[in-house]
Amino acid sequence: MALKPYIVNTGIITAIGNNTQQCKDALLSGKNNIGKPTHLKTHWESEIPVAEIKLSNKALADMAGVNEEWPRTALLSAVAVKEAWLPYAEIATGLRTGFFSANTVGGMDLTEGVYREFKETGTVSNISSVINHECGAITELVAKHFKIEDFVTTISTACSSSANSIMMAAQMIEAGMLDIAIAGGADSLSKFTLNGFNTLMILDRQSCQPFDNNRRGLNLGEGAGYVVLMNDKAMAQCNATAICTVSGYANANDAYHQTASSPDGIGNKLAMTQAISKAGIQPSDISYINLHGTGTANNDSSEGKAIEGVFSGNVPMASSTKSFTGHTLGASGGVEAVFSAIAIRDGVVFPNMRWETQMEDVNWKPVTELQTGIAIDHVLSNSFGFGGNCSSLVFSKS
Amino acid sequence: MDIYIKGTGIISAAGDNSEGTFLHEPPTYDTDKLLSKEPNYTAYIQPMQLRRMSKAVRMGIGASRMAMQQAGVEKPDAMSLGTAMGCLQDTEHFLAKMVTQEEQMLTPTSFIQSTHNTVGGQIALLAGCYGHNLTYVHRGHSFEHAMINAQLYLNDHPTHNILVGGIDELTDSSLQVMKATGVYRKANSTEQILNTNEPGSLAGEGATFFVVDKNPSEGSLHIKGIGISTPEDTAAAAAQLDKFMQQQGLSNTDIDLVMSGWNGNSSGKEFYDNINERFSASSIAGFKHLSGEYATASAFGLGMTMEIVKHGAVPAHMLLNGKQPKALKNILLINSYGHYLSIWHITA
Repeated sequence: MALKPYIVNTGIITAIGNNTQQCKDALLSGKNNIGKPTHLKTHWESEIPVAEIKLSNKALADMAGVNEEWPRTALLSAVAVKEAWLPYAEIATGLRTGFFSANTVGGMDLTEGVYREFKETGTVSNISSVINHECGAITELVAKHFKIEDFVTTISTACSSSANSIMMAAQMIEAGMLDIAIAGGADSLSKFTLNGFNTLMILDRQSCQPFDNNRRGLNLGEGAGYVVLMNDKAMAQCNATAICTVSGYANANDAYHQTASSPDGIGNKLAMTQAISKAGIQPSDISYINLHGTGTANNDSSEGKAIEGVFSGNVPMASSTKSFTGHTLGASGGVEAVFSAIAIRDGVVFPNMRWETQMEDVNWKPVTELQTGIAIDHVLSNSFGFGGNCSSLVFSKS
Repeated sequence: MDIYIKGTGIISAAGDNSEGTFLHEPPTYDTDKLLSKEPNYTAYIQPMQLRRMSKAVRMGIGASRMAMQQAGVEKPDAMSLGTAMGCLQDTEHFLAKMVTQEEQMLTPTSFIQSTHNTVGGQIALLAGCYGHNLTYVHRGHSFEHAMINAQLYLNDHPTHNILVGGIDELTDSSLQVMKATGVYRKANSTEQILNTNEPGSLAGEGATFFVVDKNPSEGSLHIKGIGISTPEDTAAAAAQLDKFMQQQGLSNTDIDLVMSGWNGNSSGKEFYDNINERFSASSIAGFKHLSGEYATASAFGLGMTMEIVKHGAVPAHMLLNGKQPKALKNILLINSYGHYLSIWHITA
């Protein structure tokens, strides 16, 4: 019998809050923070709104108690890991603890700042700007700081990255390879990603409207989100209580296009169906879907149709919280796992903001008003991305 | 662990293993980098598609096709890849344009191909593989984590196969930066690389793929265990080796062949000297003079292990202690990239 991975705590930072409570308050009050960046310096700052965290690298470093010369993604990761892990750091002695992180941008925010100097002079005056360029370096910095060493890994599968880190963490707990896993991911804004997505012409010039017929694209965001998974033994030792379990997970590939989803969402459907089946439940048991819901024409149409297919005319409540946080890329699976856990714990469904018009090619609509006081037994969380990578997670009341 | 290797595809600075003559002749060079000798890809990739692919992508697709061909698999059920650096060439291409053109008039192609999961995405796309697909980017353990993930996947899907690979490409800029940070050294010749006591190692690149499953068969290699750790010094690394040998129930004299990740870097000399001493009764073979050093070179070491077993002998130019193995039953692959250590127990 496989051991159950329980979620016992969360840590998060996004444009709508610096910790779980602040993010939850913003989700309940309908507050978002999408607009002109103050820390990201870009040619596009007046034209392309983003969901930026209004804290300098120095302020983030002070919050986490780490070096401000770290790449911003590592700083965000450290802030969220600190919130998630601090209650157990001293009492988890002797338990096998892993850190499963994900990101897509690595230290690009620093690399892009010194690239011109590097090309012109053949060197960089401050080597610390490039030594942490690799995605794995971000994870290593944070793992070392928090002294987590039993298993440390980094996954990078574009927008599904941190859903996959939670999947692997759950598998290793189930297999008895670890007692505790801190799993999720982080990504900061960078000029590189902003310009990249801009060339694909999928960035909204206004605040995004996921699953609206007149949606124009996505808003990039930044952040970090982690869940702490424990087995029974670790929960007993750490005196921790379960918020929910990671009951199902699946990773599939759309095998259609490097950056676009297939029209009917083949990969999306496979990921959702297999995750629900892994959880040992039926689609009708799902209380709420936290959508991938980026707000692009392509994603929402494919995801919408795939959901129609999986839930055959009986679509549960669904919303995209990217209408609050923007699309935090490699962090989004972690961020939305935190939101899913809150939904189960507090019996709430967050609204899909700014929805106005029914999509023509999809026969269901997202939840547009905050729902409270309802029993949420199972949440399905979707993360789909470039490279055809599609992952779905199921979180269940324990 | 019970993983069986069914097919191997290697693209490296020493060539590729698609023909039976791989590494019969030792390579010679005097250079500061070992770039892959790429095969004629036309057997694996259509010319129109090939033109748009960066080196990391075409090496990955080429090596994965070779492994699938050898295993007799047309479409893998799943894949699990490791790449520390990802698609550097496309990343830098987009970055350079963005900086010099001050964020204007940019085109998407190189951005699209810059993500770390591009190789996995492209393999899936070309093979029509809808299965599980993951990319690990954890520095010197990227390939090891991909293999551990393969084990987790096969536990859940015992009748499936999974493609596992390690890819990293070298660019002028990454070479320059890693020389500045002391990872890589200046020019080296074939004779020098493993025989001088200098800091740094010779830069390399490559792609090595495997088709693995849970079913033992004639000619398959059995991966019995992988021990991964990040020891900070020689004593801690030696302790990790002790621990692994004990876990695997092995004594020093059980080992027929040690595939040594010795790369000539003076900082690792003490550890690898100890290994030479500890396994003096065994055959010890080096492989980093063939691949150069890179974060997923352990995949090349594993690929060479498969080649050696297939041919029943170690090519003379790989022997570090002059001894051919008496048998090829228990093999230990020991690799280190910086402080990222991995120890593999493989049986034929």
